[in-house]
Amino acid sequence: MRKYQNIGDKLIPIIFILAILVLWELVVNLGVVERYILPSPTDIVNALIVNWADIMMHTWVTFFEGMTGLLVAVFLSLIMAVVMDQFPVVKKAIYPVLVISQTVPIIVIAPLLAMWFGFGIAPKIFVVVLVCFFPITVNLIEGLQSVDGELINLVRSMGATKSQIFAKIKFPSALPYFFSGLKIAATYSIMGAVIGEWLGGKAGLGVYMLRARHAFALDLVFASILVIVILSIILFYGIAGIQRALMPWEKLKEELE
Amino acid sequence: MNTCHSKCVLQVAGVTQEYNHKNIIEDIHIHLNQGEFVSILGPSGCGKSTLFNVIAGLLTPEAGKVVVNDKDVTGKTGVVSYMYQKDLLLPWRNVIDNGILPLEIRGIPKKEAREKVKAMLPVFQLEDDGEKYPVQLSGGMKQRVSLLRTTMFSKEIMLLDEPFGGLDAITRLKMQEYLLEILKKIKGSVLFITHDIDEAIFLSDRIYIINGSPAHIVEEMIVPVKHASPQEMMTSEALRQLRSDILKRL
Repeated sequence: MRKYQNIGDKLIPIIFILAILVLWELVVNLGVVERYILPSPTDIVNALIVNWADIMMHTWVTFFEGMTGLLVAVFLSLIMAVVMDQFPVVKKAIYPVLVISQTVPIIVIAPLLAMWFGFGIAPKIFVVVLVCFFPITVNLIEGLQSVDGELINLVRSMGATKSQIFAKIKFPSALPYFFSGLKIAATYSIMGAVIGEWLGGKAGLGVYMLRARHAFALDLVFASILVIVILSIILFYGIAGIQRALMPWEKLKEELE
Repeated sequence: MNTCHSKCVLQVAGVTQEYNHKNIIEDIHIHLNQGEFVSILGPSGCGKSTLFNVIAGLLTPEAGKVVVNDKDVTGKTGVVSYMYQKDLLLPWRNVIDNGILPLEIRGIPKKEAREKVKAMLPVFQLEDDGEKYPVQLSGGMKQRVSLLRTTMFSKEIMLLDEPFGGLDAITRLKMQEYLLEILKKIKGSVLFITHDIDEAIFLSDRIYIINGSPAHIVEEMIVPVKHASPQEMMTSEALRQLRSDILKRL
């Protein structure tokens, strides 16, 4: 019974998405919407295949910016979360600033970055760091602070030092939270890089989309969107896979439930 | 019986601890002899755990001192071992690696620590469970692992804070017998917190009754029949007398 249920759970979204695609294809092919306004799914896939080499070159640039930004964000988040966890004063001072920083629209910040850092790769990576830093830090700090106080007392009674408590108890406890943040950040990373590129540059999917739009090649715009979506999904599940590999006990828990 | 003899491993002398400018426990005098099982019996929330936190060195008392083997260890951690009602096992570590935690903290290399824990698994009837993760264990099994970890830190003085309070009645009875069996093998000394009169009578050599606000020791009692069987618990006149004396004090 349970097995059928699982198959059903996976089938339902697939059938739904397929139905939308078929409807979309029909609407365009029957001439309800003009092709230059909205290309059909097959047009988009076709454009992707024809321009594969070009699109991949730009994808690679975007991917590189996204990953570099994500890694920098992870590194900064780790430092920030540890410092905030160890020194409550720092947390009190910085946490509100972090939240405020998230309310400033990134689309407004990006042109400023271009003015300050030029049109090279640096401002793109900067945008990625800005959008990825927050979800990782907030989740990590929550994970570090939600450790059972009795557990901390237990290891303190064993004579553990602060750094031992962090390395053996707090950090491993916070790992699931860290990965929740990382999964969100990873999907943001590609988007962040594209936003950065959108405001000017030499290469990347954002630049490519901008050019395609100016040429009214909407099929290429949609093909780029498709690549961005697929890339983000791959990153999301890739990180989920790393999480499962690093935390086998979480899988055991799911199996028992 | 109120004095600390040469066999005495732990002495708590006149400990007073406050919280929010109000005394929680006041002028507590207790001691524990080597190999002895002593219970601290009192109603829930009366400050028993505060007393344990002082003994464990997690709190520094307003007055009084904690002496272990003639050394003043007031406010010093890393001296006695502590076990809670919650198993507090690390979900990311299997049974063996949970057991090595106190050894790791002491700086013993992991490999050596694992060997030590593995050698103890049969004593704790966990020989087949070393590789299992806590999520795969029942509540009683988790407390066995927790007890194993406690003894790996130190068996000389063990503070057990209602270790079976979260278990169902049947598992709890089994765990009580299990605890006595383990203690016979490893020869540890135990200070045990409980609010269950029968549990205290069954397990203990001596019982301190703690009560009042602020909490203080109201009575010290010797258990006349050690580890009484359920029949003895019902029939022994001495135990019936003990129980009614305890009830009067609570």
